[in-house]
Amino acid sequence: MKYLIDALKNPGGYFASTPLSVVCAVFAAMFFVFTVVYSFRHMSGRKGLWRYYIYILATFLATLGILFSANFLLLLVLWGFLGLMLYLLIGFGREEGTPESARKSLAIIGGTDVLLLLGIVLIWSIRYGSTGLPGFLRLPFAGMGIQLDTTGSVIAYLCLASAAFAKAGAMPFHTWLPDTARDAPVPVTAFLPASLDKLLGIYFLARVTLEVFVMTPAMNTVLMALGSVTIMAAVMMALVQHDLKRLLGYHAVSQVGYMVLGIGTGNPVGIAGALFHMFNNTIYKSSLFLAGGEVERRTGTSDLARLGGLVKAMPMVFAAFLIASLSISGVPPFNGFASKWMLYQGVISGGGTLWVVWLVAAMLGSALTLASFMKLVHSVFLGQPSQISREVIESREKTGFFTILPLAVLSLLCIGLGVIAWKIPFADYFRPGVGGELHMPGIWQSGPATLVLLAGLVIGYLIYLSGSIRKARIVAPFIGGETLEKNPDMRVSGVDFYRTIREIGILKVIYRLAEKKLFDLYEVLQKIAAGFGIVFSFMHNGILSRYLLWFVIGLAVLCIVLI
Amino acid sequence: MTFVYLIVFGFAATAALGLVTSWIDRKVTARVQYRVGPPFLQPFIDIVKLLGKETVIPAGASRGTFLMAPVIGLAGVVAAATLFWVNQFFEGGFMGDWIVAIYLLTVPSLSIILGGFASRNPLASLGASREMKLVMAYELPFILATLVPVIWAGDLSISGIIENQSDGITAGHLSGIIALIVALLCVQAKLALVPFDIPEAETEIVEGPLVEYSGPGLAVFRLMKNMLLFTLPFFLIILFFGGMRLNGINILWTLLEYVGIVALITVIRNTNPRVRIDQAVRFFWGPMTVLATAAVVLALNGI
Repeated sequence: MKYLIDALKNPGGYFASTPLSVVCAVFAAMFFVFTVVYSFRHMSGRKGLWRYYIYILATFLATLGILFSANFLLLLVLWGFLGLMLYLLIGFGREEGTPESARKSLAIIGGTDVLLLLGIVLIWSIRYGSTGLPGFLRLPFAGMGIQLDTTGSVIAYLCLASAAFAKAGAMPFHTWLPDTARDAPVPVTAFLPASLDKLLGIYFLARVTLEVFVMTPAMNTVLMALGSVTIMAAVMMALVQHDLKRLLGYHAVSQVGYMVLGIGTGNPVGIAGALFHMFNNTIYKSSLFLAGGEVERRTGTSDLARLGGLVKAMPMVFAAFLIASLSISGVPPFNGFASKWMLYQGVISGGGTLWVVWLVAAMLGSALTLASFMKLVHSVFLGQPSQISREVIESREKTGFFTILPLAVLSLLCIGLGVIAWKIPFADYFRPGVGGELHMPGIWQSGPATLVLLAGLVIGYLIYLSGSIRKARIVAPFIGGETLEKNPDMRVSGVDFYRTIREIGILKVIYRLAEKKLFDLYEVLQKIAAGFGIVFSFMHNGILSRYLLWFVIGLAVLCIVLI
Repeated sequence: MTFVYLIVFGFAATAALGLVTSWIDRKVTARVQYRVGPPFLQPFIDIVKLLGKETVIPAGASRGTFLMAPVIGLAGVVAAATLFWVNQFFEGGFMGDWIVAIYLLTVPSLSIILGGFASRNPLASLGASREMKLVMAYELPFILATLVPVIWAGDLSISGIIENQSDGITAGHLSGIIALIVALLCVQAKLALVPFDIPEAETEIVEGPLVEYSGPGLAVFRLMKNMLLFTLPFFLIILFFGGMRLNGINILWTLLEYVGIVALITVIRNTNPRVRIDQAVRFFWGPMTVLATAAVVLALNGI
């Protein structure tokens, strides 16, 4: 506390502003406003709302503090505070698994906070250990240039990177994210894991990678490999999910992979692409979560099998969801494509000998993303309406203004940032501390390309006008003479669209292992801990004879050793 | 103004050549089946006729999405074709590169899927989901195979790929030939032709995603497919044969290459039964990916 007061009294030594942190702060402020506005309606009727808004405000202020802190210890304190806020905010969820998810996220994020502390201590001892200056409390968060040539420095880097990975949700510290997405209230998910945590995690990773350490090719390869694995594994898991929010949660993981991959390339284009992608991701991901939240509020479920055909009930929400889906899948000319494209440029020129592998993983990842979002679009908004959807459509409730406003702004940003992508001054904003020109081997002129696409739309429209489009007739769908309404079993919910993929060769084995949570660090550690527990409870069963047995064995061992 | 001119040219030329290609395809198919086949103008007449037919919209479907889908697909093909035309006939790169081309070429599939989903018809839902799985399946080998010319050219831009083949086409190397075979089969799936017409499978799910389309909507989808029938072989020619060369004897070569690719596609489609979707996924993620990876490795080693 004293430390924080000192920090506020002498801001010079503790706070500093870079162009990147300013942009991040602007985005954070935007998401803060949207979350509050959206929560008016979505959270109404829950208990303890004043605490909820205080937590949201505290989260926002702590985020600003982290973005502008020039000092490792201040950052560490606020970082830990954010983890706690997330824990408290998840607690507002009403799902069955909420307490468990909150615990899990606190354990993973808190655990990596310890690693962060360890990393900071290591940095201090590497850099200033012999002189004791400038004092551990004032360890600056910039301009270190530590070489990754000793074991200590590598461990320090890995510790800091783990903290960033856990916050952003990259593998192997991702497992709290899908659970949180499923159980936490939607505005919380949209605010923290989908936007602020991404901004902070990737911001921190970029600063650490570029300003604190000097990267080696080996470490870059590690980052790129982690990024590619994150992209592919998370999207494969997302394909087979059957819960709207959990599916989105897996995509929140998958997209981090792109950012880690971009930062791992170590060249200016790749890093600028990664940071651009970070901003784009926060835009479309919050849009997706907010749209999904509205669906959940209206229908009371996020189970994909019980949704469908909701476009008639909420056309605006559908439009926002579709735009965000196309953005996240990287369909030109939306913003997701612009940043992915930049990232690919970075991978091609800075990916090392294995660049083809990273490139193909990233490009295939985006095709799979498209696939899983098409499934969502079908199961939630299009396709044949379920019983619940019919009731919602018949209720004729309008989507509220406070829901539409954030979605509309975010959708416009998705299109706008994509179309003017080539005019954005990347050099100034998305290039923290990296020198050198932004050299792009490829070409993407988003402006002219958008014009061509628009021209295509106009041509299509003209063809329509020349036809009979204006006197369209509405007829029941043709299903070989059957009527859909009389045969509810004929409804295709779309949940199992990709079961075919799951049953193929080696994928079958991997999916089965993943469902046993074998790749979940938290669960595995929990099992190991439980294993210790069994041993201890066997030893300390509270019965005198067993303690006596240990006593005798111990005596025997002592005798043998001493003799 | 040049811009408008370019787009109109891109659209008109692509549409005309696409319709001609479609006629070749239908004629060859007819000859294989001992039929006479349609007259030259038949594909064009088909589309005009469809424009005159009534528009029918399935009850309870999203009218906007249902009618927008074909137009989105058409815009995707127009953009991809313009990208190829411009880079073919003008010096210096313009608009986009290989990555953009790959992404634009998935837009038509995307539009078919969206249209199918918006039809509120279970058959369309099934067909569209198959289309999506097919996209996932062929995308991996397609990316790898089309990467081979990029590696040979050492350049991402379409015009760079064309220029760098002036002293030796990609298909002149072993890796190029392997990649061409893989890419050709991926194109077959991209066009949803037999043996990969699983999404449409007339005999089981009645044209799948297109089941509810009629009149102008179907006309635009037809036109889009016909344009793709030209655009995709054009893309292959750019990647593997150094683009269209319209000087002297090379005109004949270009024509031969183009007709050769189209004839191969037609012959494959006429001599094979339809496979199941899981077989198709296995085929593309298995042998095709292995072949394509081998081609990439060979290309990286200069073979």
